[in-house]
Amino acid sequence: MEQYLEFTGIGKAYPGVQALRDISFRCDGGEVLALLGENGAGKSTLLKILSGDTRPDEGGIIIDGRPQQFSAPYDAIKAGVSVIYQERQLVPAMSVMENIFLGEQPKTSLGTIDKKALRQSTQDIIDKFGLPIRPDELAGRLSVAYQQMVEIMKAYRRNSKIIAFDEPTAPLADAEIAILFDLIRRLKEEGRIVLYVSHRLSEIFRITDKIAVLKDGRFVKYLTTSRTNEQELIQAMVGRDIGDTYANLRRNDKLGDVLLEVCNLETEYLRDVSFTLRRGEVLGLAGLVGAGRTEVARAIFGADAILGGEIRFEGEAIDFSEPKDAIEAGIALCPEDRKDQGLVLWRSIRENITMPVLGRIRKGLFLDRAAEEHLAEEAIAKYAIRTPSINKIVRELSGGNQQKVILGRWTNSKMTTKLLILDEPTKGIDVGTKAEVYQMICDFAGEGFGVIFISSELTEVINVSDRIIVMRNGRVTGDVTRREATEESVLALAMTD
Amino acid sequence: MEKQSYMRGVVRSPMFSLLILFAALVIYFSAASKGLFLKPKNLVNILNAMAISALLTQGVSFLMISGKLDLSTGANGTLCGMLLAFLLQHGTPVVIALPVSLALGGVIGLFNSVLVNEINFQPFIATLASTSVFTGFVYVLANKKAIDIKNPVVLWLGKGMIINYIPVSAVMALLLMVVVGVILHKTKFGRQIYLVGGNAKAAMLSGINPKKLSYKLFAICGVFSSLAGITLAARLQSGTIAGVTNARFQGITAAVLGGISFGGGSGGMGGAFVGLLVLSGFNNGMTVVGLNPYWQTVASGLLLLFALALDVFRTRRNAKA
Repeated sequence: MEQYLEFTGIGKAYPGVQALRDISFRCDGGEVLALLGENGAGKSTLLKILSGDTRPDEGGIIIDGRPQQFSAPYDAIKAGVSVIYQERQLVPAMSVMENIFLGEQPKTSLGTIDKKALRQSTQDIIDKFGLPIRPDELAGRLSVAYQQMVEIMKAYRRNSKIIAFDEPTAPLADAEIAILFDLIRRLKEEGRIVLYVSHRLSEIFRITDKIAVLKDGRFVKYLTTSRTNEQELIQAMVGRDIGDTYANLRRNDKLGDVLLEVCNLETEYLRDVSFTLRRGEVLGLAGLVGAGRTEVARAIFGADAILGGEIRFEGEAIDFSEPKDAIEAGIALCPEDRKDQGLVLWRSIRENITMPVLGRIRKGLFLDRAAEEHLAEEAIAKYAIRTPSINKIVRELSGGNQQKVILGRWTNSKMTTKLLILDEPTKGIDVGTKAEVYQMICDFAGEGFGVIFISSELTEVINVSDRIIVMRNGRVTGDVTRREATEESVLALAMTD
Repeated sequence: MEKQSYMRGVVRSPMFSLLILFAALVIYFSAASKGLFLKPKNLVNILNAMAISALLTQGVSFLMISGKLDLSTGANGTLCGMLLAFLLQHGTPVVIALPVSLALGGVIGLFNSVLVNEINFQPFIATLASTSVFTGFVYVLANKKAIDIKNPVVLWLGKGMIINYIPVSAVMALLLMVVVGVILHKTKFGRQIYLVGGNAKAAMLSGINPKKLSYKLFAICGVFSSLAGITLAARLQSGTIAGVTNARFQGITAAVLGGISFGGGSGGMGGAFVGLLVLSGFNNGMTVVGLNPYWQTVASGLLLLFALALDVFRTRRNAKA
């Protein structure tokens, strides 16, 4: 029988927004279909409807010709749908095999769990995918990438006909992405239906067959991957031609004196790391996940102890005991995980922007509300943050606007920032906003900041930075200029001994 | 249009539904007690009870907004009340005995803070355990008997009246509440509490030291607990073994009813005040209508559960919105 998944006229409204409007398209077995759109286009809502998490107001889902009514995620799973979200959904304290067979472990005749059969069946699946995971390992101990693989195996074990991925590569490094794509190709060969949500256009060309483009909750275009190009996709997504992002960046070419010197730095995670950064320079840190890039930022910021070597900032050796001291000295860190470490989601834009400068906006005993509002207005204007008010709760902003709030925090006029460390600033941000962030990075350099730009996306890190430090296993394996760097050469430095 | 949506906001706000609940309680208890509930003498009783709960609520609110909790407030207050009685009995001048008793509350707070910040106990567990330590000290100090208090200054604090009807303790507690409200909303210190409660990691990376803050907040909570215990001892004219031990949940109930979530980062003194009104009206009303004290305990427990359910419900609704 023919395998297919069809959305027919799906509509969904939330208070104040029409999230989806008359979405209809179809995806066939043995195909990988990309679901593409900017943040807020409705991709997540559509996935939630597919997973039974949310019910549509109108329209429905048809699988292999049969209309489906999902009132809870359980119904969707029964109908053969597995959705693999950005947030992992494994039980960290359980083993890989228990996770894969969660709720349906093989039983012995006594009714207890048949560990032997469980281990064997799990090993069979692991072998099928050729992964170096042991069935007895605790899921929580695995790297993010392997946790994701376990989720895929879980979907496979459930015999899901339809497997949807929500930005699966966001936390992965390029080598891990290759393994993931390999798995997806296998699923496709077996005739399963794969839905793939991602912001990364290059991946969409690598892995998908068809592309459904959403914009503002509407379905705008259905394309065959082999017969389209980036320009066409971006145009469909943003409704305008953004041209060649990197070539159009207005860069800073006036380098100042040396701002930061890292000499033979050793920490628990780093070995013999050395590099320098000048004022007005954008220094990229490239490497796989776990290469030690974030750890460099942490050491500079005073979050990890320095065990050997030294860090010199404006010519003086620094070793901060807490972030507060680093901030006082003029170092700002935009952490990797916006929601977990960057923002106080339930507080307003205003409160998030003034966090590090509360001591500088006081009037006697009290906070100077007018000064505070001024700083917030300033950031909204400078970064074109889309919001009706400075008092809007940050949680209600899109990812791109949230990132701008963080940038606004560290560059507000009460700050004395000289070194700005941006750890994965474009993660989970749509293409249009990414281009804005790149320009901001160049502008920061233009204002005389030293900028450290950490990114797992090779293309952006080698095209935005003036110089690129490549890291692997806590060591520096390369130091190249933008002109010298190619994706191949940097990847080789990041991966080989 | 503007006005309409503003009104709708007011009607939908949790405070509005609480005020409705309060009004309903007042009407019901007035009717059921044949007007006794609203007699001046009873209103004084309500204010007196409110004073103690208000002090406990303020202390614990600081911690709850920062995402922590203290269950030992009752035992702390009882011990401090007992210490005050003990010191006065042994001839210590009031100008020394009073500050020392308040300071003990702060020290107890710091002790809790060490358990939470240095040994990394969950606040719930740490303060549950320390409760029984402090209660033990109460027994040791009391040596099986309540200790009488005769000092007029202390008695004025507990029993004094302004223009015959307004208890000094209630005025003190409510004035402090205004001060706490201002601290929370207008100062750097207050803002830091909300930021740490909202996201401690982000706050730390923005130069706020959550650990230092937590020490301060536990100490403040301890001092407020102590003040509550001292006020009750003064009113009863003796340091008693029961003291405010059972009132600790009242402080938490009022805070949670008023919108201070266990998750931290939200709520304030305005809501806590409304929560106090509901709680005090409810507790007093049960006595006035002559409900059996055993059933009153059951009802108080149910009110706490109701407050917790409200917290869960609000959190869930926010997560969806």
